[in-house]
Amino acid sequence: MDQDYGAGRHRLPGYGDDQDYGGPRSAATTWNSRDQGVRRVRRMSNWTAAALVACVAVTTGYFAHAATVASQQAGSPGTVSTGQPGQPGTTAPGHKSTLTHPVVTSGGSGVTAGNGSSGSGGVGGNGSHGWDN
Amino acid sequence: MPGVLPRLAPSPIWRRASVGSRSVAVAEREALGTTARLAIWPPDRLRPALGAVDAEIRTLDLAASRFRPDSEISRVQARADGDVVPISDGLAGVVDVALAAARWTDGLVDPTVGAAIEALGYDRDFVLVDDDDQLPVPTAVPGWRSIGLDGSTLCLPKGLKLDFGATAKGLGADWAAGAAAAATGCGGVLVSLGGDISAGGEAPLGGWPVLIADDHRQTTRLGSLTQVVRLPSGAIATSSTTCRQWRRAGTLLHHIVDPRTGRPATGPWRTVSVAAATCAEANAAATAAIICGHDAADWLAARKLPARLVGHDGTVLTVAGWPSGDGGSLAVPPPRMPRVSRVLAPGGYGERSFR
Repeated sequence: MDQDYGAGRHRLPGYGDDQDYGGPRSAATTWNSRDQGVRRVRRMSNWTAAALVACVAVTTGYFAHAATVASQQAGSPGTVSTGQPGQPGTTAPGHKSTLTHPVVTSGGSGVTAGNGSSGSGGVGGNGSHGWDN
Repeated sequence: MPGVLPRLAPSPIWRRASVGSRSVAVAEREALGTTARLAIWPPDRLRPALGAVDAEIRTLDLAASRFRPDSEISRVQARADGDVVPISDGLAGVVDVALAAARWTDGLVDPTVGAAIEALGYDRDFVLVDDDDQLPVPTAVPGWRSIGLDGSTLCLPKGLKLDFGATAKGLGADWAAGAAAAATGCGGVLVSLGGDISAGGEAPLGGWPVLIADDHRQTTRLGSLTQVVRLPSGAIATSSTTCRQWRRAGTLLHHIVDPRTGRPATGPWRTVSVAAATCAEANAAATAAIICGHDAADWLAARKLPARLVGHDGTVLTVAGWPSGDGGSLAVPPPRMPRVSRVLAPGGYGERSFR
């Protein structure tokens, strides 16, 4: 290494100088070392720029998602988690998903005479009249 | 849609119900003498949906309840003498669907059974019904062709009493689901009025899971007596003779009256569930199948309506593509029941015309 370089060039101190540290250096050796250093810095700059672009992209995506969720929550009139509708509560996820448990039952409606132990009873309380089928 | 009617009652109280998922909100309250239940996703749209459902239930109740003396139909019936009277858009819609169902089912369901049902004892609180030891005398059913509807005018013979039990809850569920979906603007809703269920908007992935049972208040599975199906759109309605039963002089009666006899239906099926494009249609078909008796399966299959029939002995029969296994998805057919807007009865309109 460090051979066949032109005159007037001076080697910068750095990596690879162990062999002839403190002694006179050839111009070719000086130039070669400088060229490698410049390349190293350029490579580091490229990687740094790429990393910065990636970070900006991820950050932008994160804030965009957060802003969407915030605007949806602000636009809804209220969310109920427990108790009466209209009371404040925790917001549940709003994405479309698969439900595993039945949310409603289709069956006959009404009141069964007797003690209602047959399992086919109707409404309680004052629900003695109603729409039937 | 229904006309504007006055607000006569304070806002009802809804209760939250847990279904083991945070991606859907479920609430229920008592309404129309039974239970109204709403499921909705995304869950933060619950409040506007509840308001929309309340408005539709109130409109239906004030227009067409035979149990409210202040309802429009009660007032119209009290003054009926065969003349043509103007009615609200809401009541016109209820009568329209009831007549359409009567025509579609060849009279198996008939809105003129009101007097027959009352004669059987279903005219008061059930606590009082049990106190009567007199066996009821069946009353002849005038038949749906004795009434007339032309747009927003109605012609009722004197003394005729209407009962919209075979269609009104289903129609109300359709109204409520449509209004709730419009009020929320995204996602989907499922509305049940006493077990008659209508879907609006977009269903969750795989469809809405619905438990099929004898009683709409059943929440747990009972072996072969219940089944879970998935509803991607449309509606499911169930009619059952196991609900709204009472005794007169030791005889067990129920509310599904055969218009041909004026007596409770005596067919082999105790519960019939039907999937259809609209809940009014499913409601009418399920009730017609109970009344139809031994021919119910053929009647439903001929109309290509997926249905599940449960016999008095627990026998289960499925027809027209109703899923046989638990968790199967329903293929909801296109609308089968044609609507009517003009059914002219003799007398008030001076002519009789059926389209």
